[in-house]
Amino acid sequence: MSETASQAVPRIEAYYAPTSLEEAVEQIAAGDVAIVAGGTDLMVTANGALRRIKRGLMNIRHVPGLDGIAETGGRIRIGALATMTDILESDLLRAKAPILPATADRFASVQIRNAASVGGNIANASPAADMVIPLLCLDAEVELASWKDGAVSTRTLPITDYFTGPGKSKREAGELITAVEFDAQGAGGHAAFFKTGPRPALEIAIVSMGFMARIDGGTLSDIRIAFGAVAPTPIRAPETEKLLDGQTLDDDLIARALESADTEIKPIDDVRGTAWYRRRLARVYLEEELRNVLEG
Amino acid sequence: MSKVIEKDILVGTRVPKMDAPDKATGRTRYVNDMVLPRMLVAKILRTDRVHAKILRIDTSKARALPGVHAVITADDTPQFGIGVLKDNPPLKKDKVRCIRDEIAAVAAETEDICDEALALIEVEYEDLPPVFDCTEALAEGAPVIHEDRPDNIAMVNEFSSGDIARAEAESDHIVEGDYNVHYVTHCNMGVSCAVADVDYDGKVTLYSQTQYPFIMKMDIAPSLGVHPGDIRIIQPPVGGAFGSKLDVYPYEPICVFLAQKTRRPVKLIFSRSEEFIASPTRQPVEFKIRAGMKADGTLTFRDIDTLLNNGGYTSWGATTPYVTMRTCSSHYRVPDIKYRARAVYTNNPFAGSFRGYGNVQATWAIETHMDRMAEVAGLDPLEFRLKNANESGDVSPQGSKLNNIDLKGCLQIAADKSDFLKKWAEYKEGWNKPGRYKRGIGIAASLHNAGGAKIHKSDGCGTILKMDDYARVTVITGASDIGQGIDTVIAQLVAEELGIPVRDVTLVMNDSATGPWDVGVHASRTTYIAGNSAKRAALKAKEQILRGAAKQSNLTWEQLDLRGGHVVQADNGEAIIPLDRLLRQMHFAGQDAELVMVTDYYEPPSEPEDENHVGDMSAAYSHAAQVTEVTVDTFTGEVKIDQIWWVQDVGKVINLTTLEGQVEGGIAMGLGYGLSENLKIENGIVKNPFFRDYHVFTAPEMPPIDMTFIETLDEEGPAGAKGIAELPTIVPAPSIGNAVYNATGVRIYHPPLSPETVARALFDADAGKAMAAE
Ligand SMILES: Cc1cc2nc3c(=O)[nH]c(=O)nc-3n(C[C@H](O)[C@H](O)[C@H](O)COP(=O)(O)OP(=O)(O)OC[C@H]3O[C@@H](n4cnc5c(N)ncnc54)[C@H](O)[C@@H]3O)c2cc1C
Repeated sequence: MSETASQAVPRIEAYYAPTSLEEAVEQIAAGDVAIVAGGTDLMVTANGALRRIKRGLMNIRHVPGLDGIAETGGRIRIGALATMTDILESDLLRAKAPILPATADRFASVQIRNAASVGGNIANASPAADMVIPLLCLDAEVELASWKDGAVSTRTLPITDYFTGPGKSKREAGELITAVEFDAQGAGGHAAFFKTGPRPALEIAIVSMGFMARIDGGTLSDIRIAFGAVAPTPIRAPETEKLLDGQTLDDDLIARALESADTEIKPIDDVRGTAWYRRRLARVYLEEELRNVLEG
Repeated sequence: MSKVIEKDILVGTRVPKMDAPDKATGRTRYVNDMVLPRMLVAKILRTDRVHAKILRIDTSKARALPGVHAVITADDTPQFGIGVLKDNPPLKKDKVRCIRDEIAAVAAETEDICDEALALIEVEYEDLPPVFDCTEALAEGAPVIHEDRPDNIAMVNEFSSGDIARAEAESDHIVEGDYNVHYVTHCNMGVSCAVADVDYDGKVTLYSQTQYPFIMKMDIAPSLGVHPGDIRIIQPPVGGAFGSKLDVYPYEPICVFLAQKTRRPVKLIFSRSEEFIASPTRQPVEFKIRAGMKADGTLTFRDIDTLLNNGGYTSWGATTPYVTMRTCSSHYRVPDIKYRARAVYTNNPFAGSFRGYGNVQATWAIETHMDRMAEVAGLDPLEFRLKNANESGDVSPQGSKLNNIDLKGCLQIAADKSDFLKKWAEYKEGWNKPGRYKRGIGIAASLHNAGGAKIHKSDGCGTILKMDDYARVTVITGASDIGQGIDTVIAQLVAEELGIPVRDVTLVMNDSATGPWDVGVHASRTTYIAGNSAKRAALKAKEQILRGAAKQSNLTWEQLDLRGGHVVQADNGEAIIPLDRLLRQMHFAGQDAELVMVTDYYEPPSEPEDENHVGDMSAAYSHAAQVTEVTVDTFTGEVKIDQIWWVQDVGKVINLTTLEGQVEGGIAMGLGYGLSENLKIENGIVKNPFFRDYHVFTAPEMPPIDMTFIETLDEEGPAGAKGIAELPTIVPAPSIGNAVYNATGVRIYHPPLSPETVARALFDADAGKAMAAE
């Protein structure tokens, strides 16, 4: 029974800073590179020797077209390199998709927000990734680029179908996230974001929740509920959404919605909290939000 | 007529902290920043087992790696233990006992090469059955951690005074409780780091973050096989220590071994995760308390039994009962006392000393218990405490002479300023009312040594003071500065005596080769003891100067004074001669020449404890009280601190700015202890070795703190001052627990009051009530 007692971090041997999308995806296809955007996840895991980082490091911040937040043809597009600060300060998003700035406001600290990118938040595929929650509510699509047959090839995946497990997604090894997109229509209704933590900042969510709905004279429609950190991936709660759709809230409906959401989440115990506490928080947030809606 | 000069009073003013501009602007060079010519870097291979025999260590591949200069294991080094019981050899030979254990170390050209070399070392183990819990470790047939201690008991401390059986019989109420306090760690911003350099003659220079340079020479020498006299300790600025550097830990001898072996300077620096895993923790304790009182609430006895999870080795954690015991025996008037502490070896990480020492733990238990007793007695928490409070002149069962104290004042002022009684009664009414958010208010107090602690043969400190031809002063003190600001305090005390500006005083305080002996920075002692020594040295220099001046005057030296850079006539302040000119005249006086150059060694009038733990071990004692007002989110369990009222007997305020800094910093640590900090150790393994998952209190979370300082003017302390640095860490946690109780009616016995802990306790209490109602 012999083994090495330490898993040290291998040295980074090559550094790339591509200045075009072609160059970037071609290099990714050539293999063995770790993509770095803001580095706020990558450097933590690398320095903590939690994960082996690749021998090559590719900084994608010089690739044109990966940043920016803009609306074209009824679709809002957020570049993968857009930071949490960009989202927080975007007038377009404040006006048309306020759940995104509301989430950015609860994201880490100013310093981290200045560096952390939306692409990195998605790529990291943490069940607790905050920015994924509003994007789930918005039915966003993730745009992926790769190198195929000597050219850049792109495809999109609905974010609701993107994650497969903690740290895992349908993104393939050669793929770079270039942007997320969603319909501007419907993004502007009632919206709220909830997250645990007594701290004003710097808290990884024990539970997070996003809620969007259209409210017409007390009747709810177009409901979107998403939870973070209560399942192997960030999730929507479709059964609960259906239960509430077209209904008018009352105590009984709220109670049934809470029961329904409780069956849709699958939390576990970990170092940040027990499954019991996660269930409790999910219930507290949903109840608080539904009561807010009920009481106008 | 010459000019008249008023005396400049510096004590009590806000002199800015001398090191602050450099620290704030990034000029300070910490140990961690040091680079010496030809320096190598070093890293330690730690075990990934909690309890195992080491069967084989193969370093051949690591040694063969280009860029590696030395690879060492236990076979290459003296096997001499370090730590309080000398049970911890720097590199382990036969066996590992906890997750942090050092197996091998590498010195190489770069950190990357070190990492690669560590990965090439092969270690073969045979796992042994582990034990993590004190009670299990004490049971018959438990795994043995150290073969020479088959009962797994590292240390026992007992104290008893009076007759508990009689006191029990005479009590009208007896209240019992279990209080278990958790693991936390120091979280120094500057991670552990050492630089070692060995000269041609084998003499060792160690650049260290140590808090006790002089005794450290003695402690580290045997493990190095070097005479203590051949070791020089240099202390560059450190990024925090808080007690964590009061012992020798394996990384420092390892760094020296590598320097001895390679004949090059070697620097060893921890990663942040390593800092969480492999630096000492605060001592976790399981308290069992029985305490009695008369019907009117007068305390009769305390019977306290504690178990300390000692982990794999013995550092200062096992000795924290020395302080815990004082609080148990001497905080409030308790006639009959029984106390026992057993430190039990397990396969957990081990504890060291940490600001507040065993008193953070003791005060959580005692002040939570006091709140519960008040309720049984039918008294409010303030009245119950006042009724049992110590007063000046009391001598505690352990022999603490509580002179010039003001516990009652601390409690009363904190209560008055916060409108405690009114709010306490009002918030209690809210227990059965509906509502998600509940407010609460809680009070706690404690006692701590404030004039050093005589745990070594001397608790003294030396000073060398010299003046140059320009009336600039150099003070060479034995004291260590770990950021607390003793440089500023000494400069203030000396400048005031010598009538010169603070900026004309230079402190030299970081080298065991130049500095005179001192015990070290701990026990809230430095202002008191190093301050006294510096002040006494300044008075000696002043006398020498005034005698020099008197020679040229028709006045006696007693009729003269030093003010505003001049010798003046004491009664009317008339300037006689500029100080610098006088110093030059005294210096360049042919055969009569004299330099102003004095020494002082101050030994406080405290006494060591006898074999029964009785003795007046500190030259002064002081108290602090805290009232905390909170809002509890009863749904999520989040506790928000709305406001803190802090009252402390400080003897005398020497520098309000540095005092407030110590109080704020201490309270931040105390709040972390009470609310958010928790080093989670499961089966001997640290589960959250990152700031991401280990939550220190950060600046935006700090509540407003209303501070009041009581000046009791200690007879012995410098300018009347007492030591102040630990109480602010000691008192906060139980005041929060008591406030949460006042808000919700639910008592939490085991910190931290994390949101989940509070939510669970409230949920269980509701479930309990519902069951009782059925
Ligand atoms: C102190 C601190 C606080 C934090 N607080 C929060 C918080 O409140 N909420 C939260 O959700 N997260 C938080 N995080 C985590 C982190 O900041 C976010 O996940 C952030 O969005 C990551 O973005 P980044 O640009 O820094 O990613 P990086 O670290 O650069 O990359 C992360 C991962 O994604 C990959 N990657 C990056 N960009 C792309 C791309 N365009 N295409 C493909 N792969 C890519 C990288 O290779 C890497 O594996 C915190 C982190 C820290 C250190």
